[in-house]
Amino acid sequence: MQSIKHRAFILLSVVALLLIMGSAAFAQDVQQMRVVWWGSQARHDRTIAVVEMYETEHPEVDIVYEFANFNDYWTLMNTQAAGGELACVMQQDYAYLSEWARNGLLMPLDSFVESGAIDLSAADDVYIAGGRTDGQLFGVSLGTNSQSIIIDVDAFEAAGVELPALDWTWDDFEAIALQLHESLGTWAYGSPSLGDDQIWTAMMVSLGLTPFNEDGTALGFSDDQPIIDHFSRLLRLQEAGAIMTPEEASQYATGPENSPIVVGAAAMQYQWSNQVVAIFAAAGGERHLRLWPMPRPATAVGAANYLKPSMFFSISSTCAMPDVAADFINFFTNSVEANAILAAERGVPISSTIRESLLPTLDATGIETFTFLETVAEFASPIFPPNPPGYNDIRNNVWIPLFHDPVLYGQIPVEEGVTLFRSEAEAILSAN
Amino acid sequence: MSEPSAVLTGLNPPETSASEPRAKRKSKDFKRNNAVGYLFISPWLIGFFLFAFIPIAISLYLAFTNYHLLRGGEWVGLDNFERMFTSDIRYGRSVIATFKYVLTAVPLRLIFALAVALLLNTKRHGVYWFRAAYYIPSVIGGSVAVAVMWRQLFGGDGRVNEGVINTFIGVLGFERVNWFGNPDTAIWTLILLAIWQFGSPMLIFLAGLRQIPAELYEAASIDGAHGWQKFIGVTLPLLTPIIFFNFIMQMIAGFRVFTQAFVITGGNPLDSTLFYALYLYRRAFNDFQMGYASAMAWVLLLIIAFFTLISFRLSKYWVFYETKEG
Amino acid sequence: MEQTLDFSAHKRVQRRAAISRTVFYYVGVTLLAVVMLYPVAWLVSSSLKPADEIWGSVTSLIPSAPRFENYAEGWQGFGGITFQIFFGNSFLHAGVGTIFTVVSSALVAYGFGRVKFRGSGIWFSIMLMTLMLPSQILMIPQYIIFNELGWINTFLPLLIPRLGGDVFFIFMIVQFIRGIPIELDEAALIDGCGKVGIFHRIILPQIVPALVTAAIFSFYWTWEDFLGPLVYLQNPELYTVALALRAYTDVGSINNWGAVFAMLTLSLVPVILIFVFFQRYLVEGIATTGLKG
Repeated sequence: MQSIKHRAFILLSVVALLLIMGSAAFAQDVQQMRVVWWGSQARHDRTIAVVEMYETEHPEVDIVYEFANFNDYWTLMNTQAAGGELACVMQQDYAYLSEWARNGLLMPLDSFVESGAIDLSAADDVYIAGGRTDGQLFGVSLGTNSQSIIIDVDAFEAAGVELPALDWTWDDFEAIALQLHESLGTWAYGSPSLGDDQIWTAMMVSLGLTPFNEDGTALGFSDDQPIIDHFSRLLRLQEAGAIMTPEEASQYATGPENSPIVVGAAAMQYQWSNQVVAIFAAAGGERHLRLWPMPRPATAVGAANYLKPSMFFSISSTCAMPDVAADFINFFTNSVEANAILAAERGVPISSTIRESLLPTLDATGIETFTFLETVAEFASPIFPPNPPGYNDIRNNVWIPLFHDPVLYGQIPVEEGVTLFRSEAEAILSAN
Repeated sequence: MSEPSAVLTGLNPPETSASEPRAKRKSKDFKRNNAVGYLFISPWLIGFFLFAFIPIAISLYLAFTNYHLLRGGEWVGLDNFERMFTSDIRYGRSVIATFKYVLTAVPLRLIFALAVALLLNTKRHGVYWFRAAYYIPSVIGGSVAVAVMWRQLFGGDGRVNEGVINTFIGVLGFERVNWFGNPDTAIWTLILLAIWQFGSPMLIFLAGLRQIPAELYEAASIDGAHGWQKFIGVTLPLLTPIIFFNFIMQMIAGFRVFTQAFVITGGNPLDSTLFYALYLYRRAFNDFQMGYASAMAWVLLLIIAFFTLISFRLSKYWVFYETKEG
Repeated sequence: MEQTLDFSAHKRVQRRAAISRTVFYYVGVTLLAVVMLYPVAWLVSSSLKPADEIWGSVTSLIPSAPRFENYAEGWQGFGGITFQIFFGNSFLHAGVGTIFTVVSSALVAYGFGRVKFRGSGIWFSIMLMTLMLPSQILMIPQYIIFNELGWINTFLPLLIPRLGGDVFFIFMIVQFIRGIPIELDEAALIDGCGKVGIFHRIILPQIVPALVTAAIFSFYWTWEDFLGPLVYLQNPELYTVALALRAYTDVGSINNWGAVFAMLTLSLVPVILIFVFFQRYLVEGIATTGLKG
């Protein structure tokens, strides 16, 4: 009996389904466009408000939005890409942009920029360049970013250590860290790790090298000595107790509220500049935290800093209404009212007009980030070409688990780790 | 009777039990009844063919390709399997971590769940609330809450707070442990979590205990059996189908453990908690290597199937079925 | 275990032993309950703490002044979609899903557990195999199928497959059915019952504890599932609580932790209520159990 009921139910739902599909076919007067992003609550609220603002101005467009946190977002995007169901406008990341573009999932945006549909006249090229892959623009930056060392000025004063020069080297960093540790008794530097793959790429940038060769088939450098030197330095500093070992760092719970610099356990911390807002807010207004450019290797030929788009908006290649999508991106980039709501939450906006319009509204943290990026823009190295396919594989499966962690845990010597890294990374790249 | 275990082992085809004298005595009903059988299992059968069969077939095919989620791929024969067993260093680590987990968490969780179920299988006053209290941790599952909570319990934040577990250890006069930082101890935070969340096997044990007819205990009492003897003589044998079920299911779940490591340790440190399913998920959705991940999935299936098969074979020595014995 | 008091001899000694056993019992289960519930208490207390106390005095279980605004703030959700909608979606998903799952699983389990038919062993093995394959690997092919059917952005991909039952529960109920004395079936047969009648009159009352257990689990597993809703429910108006909570929290961003904890706490309430409600039937299961049929 029951199973007959089931059949009836299935039958009913199939009928219902056909009705739904049928009605959907007639409801094409209003154009539906999907927009999707990752983030947390603050970003969701602001972005949704801007979406609604756009809908009010364009009643003929109905925007269906989706959002998720960063990890879930990529699971979702991969699934949708495999199903050929990508949203028209999707948020993209520098680490993935070229892989997605090269696999034909994204639409080149150059024609929209030329026609003025996406107006980038108020943005300097250094803010746009990160969105290019193989000479074509695939993403419009939603905010600019650079790596920084957060410095606790009060701790430096208490230790009697002078603030470093803007072009400080890793040698300076080591001396300062030892001094801080000696006089304060705390760590000079907390987590996250200074052996991060992005610190490696920054190091390559300042040495005038690229992490990978032009066609992405091999590493772009032949001398491993800078990496060996850097990790030997980190091991020395760990030994001296000036920076945390990975074991010690893991005792700190995740979240900005628990980061060592916020709880007063360390005087310096590495962070991307668009993420410092959370740290500064968690630390509270009475602390004096400043942003400093990244240290350089002693043999550097340029700055270790480069300007990186924190995230992009891209148009998927399957989008049925690219003109609407382009107009939406344009609105997001150039509307003063929209950006007043967005409030640079995705990083410092690329349009100088927007930056100026935001300046009077900024709080102390906002001013610090804006000025830091203005400063960095003056001497920043050009951004290295987008990572080749396989970069995530190298980062996730080679750099961190086979080299970084075992070396900093003292399980294998630096030289051995570097050799393993090179051979495994080259094996992945050779597939390109 | 149709014996799933029998077919799995290949030892007792369904016919044999029917030829037993006892079974022969049974009525015509125990002849085959194909139409009724298929009618009853039809919901699953239809669902399987509509929604599972094709995806499973696709994943089997992908296991022999280098399919990349964005790039597509081509047939590579056994390359994926060769890579797994010869050149992928992390694969070996993930297998070791998973076996460590299965061998510790599964038996500990089962023993704990059974012990507590026995403790709660009573008509004592208020036991109702204790049952609810013990079950609550299990509904927290693998949410963000567990990640944050577990870190607080074991980790603290380095300077300000010690973490409750370490405070306790300190009070007892032992050396404090850096639970999440040490590759030897990190996995124990997840094992302890599995034990703490013993609610689901406990509930199944409880339901099993409820099903044991009270008459049997009364009969045992008349025979002069006391608590422990009743447990050995009545409870344990009658509970064996449920123990067996819980064991199989916990073992399968143990091999597939994912969420806890995904939200709490992320596989760290030094890949000591990089469980098989977590590594597979990362390969599939972070590295886009769906072909390789599918191959990993099928090897996992073979591993689980192997241990399940052994368990089914061994089960006939200790699992007591009413349908067989009458 | 059942405690039976035997009043035949040494009444007083026995009663004293029984009392001390009772005390011992309650001390034991209470201590265990404290250990079990401490982390939960921590979660609830964090949901009532002001922002600076959540991380400032982590180990303290008592907020200086309970801050119920956390709940009001959390309830707002995002972008005008409140948790009322997320909870509604979750109830639809978990409620309907559970009914589908339990009913179908019971039918299928009876087929495997008590009906003899050609191929049952092979089908059962195949069914168990589907449990051994990591589900993540099937996500994308399944998505493609449901996409072809036009089911994306509806609850259909999450509910319809449940009409096929759930392997875990099917296997579980099979094990319970196999524990039921076969004599009961035979008696019913003599009374003129067919297979369907046996299922309805004999088996069903006997497996009430198993069905209740399945219902509790099914509800909870569906309630906390986020991968399915993530992939199939793209419109935020359709998000479930578990999915909304994940979208709430992202690494490295400012989070209103008080509100997050408040909603986490709230998200546990239905599952706990379901348990408390259903566990009554779990206990009542005994009454119907017995050889009388």
